[in-house]
Amino acid sequence: MLSALPEAIGILLSVEGILVLVLGTVLGIILGAMPGIGSTVAVAIVLPFTLTMGQAPAILLLLAVYAGSVYGGSISAILINTPGTPQSAATCLDGYPMAQRGEAGIALGWATVASVVGGLVSAIVLIFAAPQLAAFALQFGPIETFALILLGMTCIVSVSTGSVVKGLMAGMIGIFLSTVGGDPILGEMRFTFGNWQLFAGFNLLAVVIGVFALSEVFIRASAPISRVSDLVAFNGIVLPSWQMWKGRLRNLTKSVAIGNVIGVLPGTGAATAAFISYAEGRRSSPNRDGFGKGEPDGIVSSEAANNAVTGGALVPTMALGIPGDAITAVMLATLTLHGITPGPKLVEDNPTLIASIFAGFFIINLLLLPLGMMLSRVAAPILRVREAFMMTAIVILCAVGIYFVRGNPFDLLIMGGAGFVGFLLRRQGVPMAPLVIGMVLGPTLELTLRQGLILTDGNFLAFFTDHPIAMVLAIAALLALSLPLWRGLLTRRAA
Amino acid sequence: MQRFANERVIVQMVLLIVAVALYASTFQQSFSASDVAQSPMFFPRIILTLWIGLAIIALIQTLRVQQTQTPIASWARIGVVIVAALIYTNVIGAEGFFLPSVIFALICLPAFGIRNPFMIVLFAVLVPGALVFLFNHTLGMPLPTSRFTYLF
Repeated sequence: MLSALPEAIGILLSVEGILVLVLGTVLGIILGAMPGIGSTVAVAIVLPFTLTMGQAPAILLLLAVYAGSVYGGSISAILINTPGTPQSAATCLDGYPMAQRGEAGIALGWATVASVVGGLVSAIVLIFAAPQLAAFALQFGPIETFALILLGMTCIVSVSTGSVVKGLMAGMIGIFLSTVGGDPILGEMRFTFGNWQLFAGFNLLAVVIGVFALSEVFIRASAPISRVSDLVAFNGIVLPSWQMWKGRLRNLTKSVAIGNVIGVLPGTGAATAAFISYAEGRRSSPNRDGFGKGEPDGIVSSEAANNAVTGGALVPTMALGIPGDAITAVMLATLTLHGITPGPKLVEDNPTLIASIFAGFFIINLLLLPLGMMLSRVAAPILRVREAFMMTAIVILCAVGIYFVRGNPFDLLIMGGAGFVGFLLRRQGVPMAPLVIGMVLGPTLELTLRQGLILTDGNFLAFFTDHPIAMVLAIAALLALSLPLWRGLLTRRAA
Repeated sequence: MQRFANERVIVQMVLLIVAVALYASTFQQSFSASDVAQSPMFFPRIILTLWIGLAIIALIQTLRVQQTQTPIASWARIGVVIVAALIYTNVIGAEGFFLPSVIFALICLPAFGIRNPFMIVLFAVLVPGALVFLFNHTLGMPLPTSRFTYLF
């Protein structure tokens, strides 16, 4: 990968590379700051526009939007007490009280520095951990890959907020949707019911945008119209001085570590990391008494952890082809749309792409500092834009984006249908992230299962008895699946 | 009665019926593969069986535990937005991007509570217009055009 670094730097320093990094980060910060859009919808809206780009710029644009939106969420959390993204919910607890005291600038300063540090460390973790993990995974045949995908599927349990059963069902619906169209081994048509438009299967992007972005618009339309929140006095970001960091560096280090570790675990996500880190900060910080009343350590705990998740979550995504959450599932979908097969061979087969992604991700996190300082002033008035304009614009932008994927109006129908079904399912508490994860991992799961059955003459047990790595992975999958269920059972008994 | 005929139960029932219908449909197609494991329907049947099992558990849970559902603030608003969005995504291919987008915005903005007619018209024309200008006339990536003119 190191040998590919000069070429990767060339890509990053090209006009397209610089534009993508800067515009993506700007867009991410602004979209992340808008309450209700969130990182997943932000990435989903931008995704179709990447189809005209090269592989590296496309992924870099999404990464920039992702990292930018996670940071951008803190702007609305601090200025209007409404987290732009769920991952910034913990930031409200101390950010808004500080803003009410007239310290909005310094509160955003703490958030910015913590986010940048969290993001940069996670980029370093990504650079070192992903190639090692991928190198180990290169020993995997179809059976080990099948067990690995099974393990990846268990993250469905973690991302199933509310009901594990409904999350698993959404996962099954996603896997089923991935089977529509040509059979991966024989090429025979399945579940097309004579409709030739379905021969190539459901367009993953149309489904993703439908269930995330369009259904969000419908959810908003079904809720009471929100009032524009009051903005506190704000005159730009004020960075905390070195002196102010005294006694807080330990909390920062701990929060960054928590974010990285949680990020690598599939399915846990930035919101979980932010709250765990906040709880740990509240327990161990020397300034714990001030938590919830406008204590900078509270902001640092939340923001350092949620941005540290971004790089961590990319480790299993890039090294193994296993998405940790909905956003990384969308990233994998983008790789597929650009003709790249996600998985352990990704690092070996595409060294330039991987080197530019890793180096680009580091630069994106560096850009958060100057761009965050510049944009926070611009983003503040945007927070006052009425929801109606945002929602209408989202539908129009989604339609444009989906049309450009294949130029096929049928995809717009799929998007509309997915949006409606997504709205109905979300109202019943069925999470949408498992559906997307199922749709992304489904084809590989089926292919490796059937290849494995050919290799073992139809003996499924031999998958585990003859393949120790597969057995270890399967046990890990079982544990990952049963632990949350066991924990839930214990909690219910205790209640 | 309310316990058995509410939105949650109906949606869970529909999910179960769809899964069963899809499972039944797997037996109505014939394929060339002789080996069961290599049949194109082998994997979908496993997934549909799991879907059916989970749908039954979810349905039982829904019937046993009475959960409060988030109420719809305005049926008229959600109805208008959903119907407008579904029609909009349906007609872009035939009627072009610009006109359906303008009409969609003209319907959607008042539904979301915007009452200023100037703002409604301005947004409805400006946003789709800017996108048409950007994609059709600047980037050279044409959006679908209407039957009336090739310009938009």
